[in-house]
Amino acid sequence: MAFIEISGLQKSFGKLEVLKDVSFTVEKGDVVAVIGSSGSGKSTMLRCLINLETVGGGSIAIEDRYLVKDGKYPAKKEIKQITSKMGMVFQQFNLFPHLSVRTNLEMPVRLTQKADKKELSAQCEEMLQKVGLLDKIDAYPSQLSGGQKQRVAIARALMLNPDIMLFFLFTSALDPELTGEVLSVMKKLAEEHMTMIVVTHEMAFAREAANKVIFMDGGKILEAGTPDEIFNHPKYPRTAEFLRSTL
Amino acid sequence: MDYILQILGPMLQGALVTTALFAIVIVLSLPFGFGITMLARCRFRPLAWLARGFIYIIRGTPLLLQLLFIYFGLPLIPGIGQYLVFDRFTAACVGFVLNYAAYFAEIFRGGLLAIDKGQYEAAQVLGLSHPQTFFRVIIPQMLRVALPALSNESVTLVKDTSLLYAVSVPEILHAAKTAVNRDVTIVPFFVAAVIYLVMNTVLTLLFKYIEKKFNFEREM
Repeated sequence: MAFIEISGLQKSFGKLEVLKDVSFTVEKGDVVAVIGSSGSGKSTMLRCLINLETVGGGSIAIEDRYLVKDGKYPAKKEIKQITSKMGMVFQQFNLFPHLSVRTNLEMPVRLTQKADKKELSAQCEEMLQKVGLLDKIDAYPSQLSGGQKQRVAIARALMLNPDIMLFFLFTSALDPELTGEVLSVMKKLAEEHMTMIVVTHEMAFAREAANKVIFMDGGKILEAGTPDEIFNHPKYPRTAEFLRSTL
Repeated sequence: MDYILQILGPMLQGALVTTALFAIVIVLSLPFGFGITMLARCRFRPLAWLARGFIYIIRGTPLLLQLLFIYFGLPLIPGIGQYLVFDRFTAACVGFVLNYAAYFAEIFRGGLLAIDKGQYEAAQVLGLSHPQTFFRVIIPQMLRVALPALSNESVTLVKDTSLLYAVSVPEILHAAKTAVNRDVTIVPFFVAAVIYLVMNTVLTLLFKYIEKKFNFEREM
């Protein structure tokens, strides 16, 4: 079984079918970029993976355990154990505005695991160092720029030692200059062989850092392949059309 | 000046009653109001309706009517009335607590509505349990939003305590009115006004201090 195996995923909001039979696999260390226009179902797909949405049918297996099998979910405890292997970075970052950067990073670990105070503090500093924001450790989210907030959100997710990182990288929320600093952190993670699934509008990232690109259209995966296949030799006119529109 | 000192004694005693009522009402109606907010959001519909009905009735009728009803009206209910006889001060406390709980419930509801859905999602993804999310993430942010309205409502409460006059509890206004009638002078009214102002000034400063403590929206 693959590291992450998704098959026949379906999801509807009322009468609107958002996901129609989505299937793909991810191997350990893969960096998968999911691209597609708004409303293509790529965000919903990612939210289903970490159980922020309930699927209507299909299966998701992560590290040989079923988060959902043929539309049926296991016990809550099992779901929590499976999703705890995943970290997520939201489009709007969702930092806790009432807590300092340090507490944003430390509190979730403290509340969910047994942690030594000194080790926790050291780990917090290490993660902030990694994203280049150690000097902001005592700042509050409202004092940070968009790019800094996103990097803190990455550090916060990394604190829980995930095997898989899920990203909403609509860098439209950031100004172009700040995008670079976030992308360089993500490239660093890719070099460390973190398994990542990235929903993105950032074609440069998909091209350079991803080893697999999935193009979604109308709730289906229209095309999947290496960046070279998708960007230089797209099979479908729809893919080519979408890529042209993002240039 | 001598006259002011002379009437100050009974008026400060009145102020003590006002302060006692204020303290009791704040301490009881804040948690009670929060409970009502929670009930109104409850998935078990009848409980939610009960909470909303309570807020609807309390906010839609005058506090003075509620006080009179509790003190004079409840004992007249056939059958159970004899068990619902309160002394004046207790009746006033019950009325004020019920009334302010309804208002606080609405303030808390507004505070909860102001919190972005993403905060709940982030907490879930980070593995926090529902109670952890509620106490560590939601409540502190809700209080931040609710504080200015709570401050406003508390100032109103200080002034509303003058309604105790209607059920003849000897508070500030009662003492002032007695002195005005007895000595035929309006000085006691001014003294009463100053006492209310002093109390509200202290209260406003206290809330300013608390708001500062909760202010995490610092600018860059």
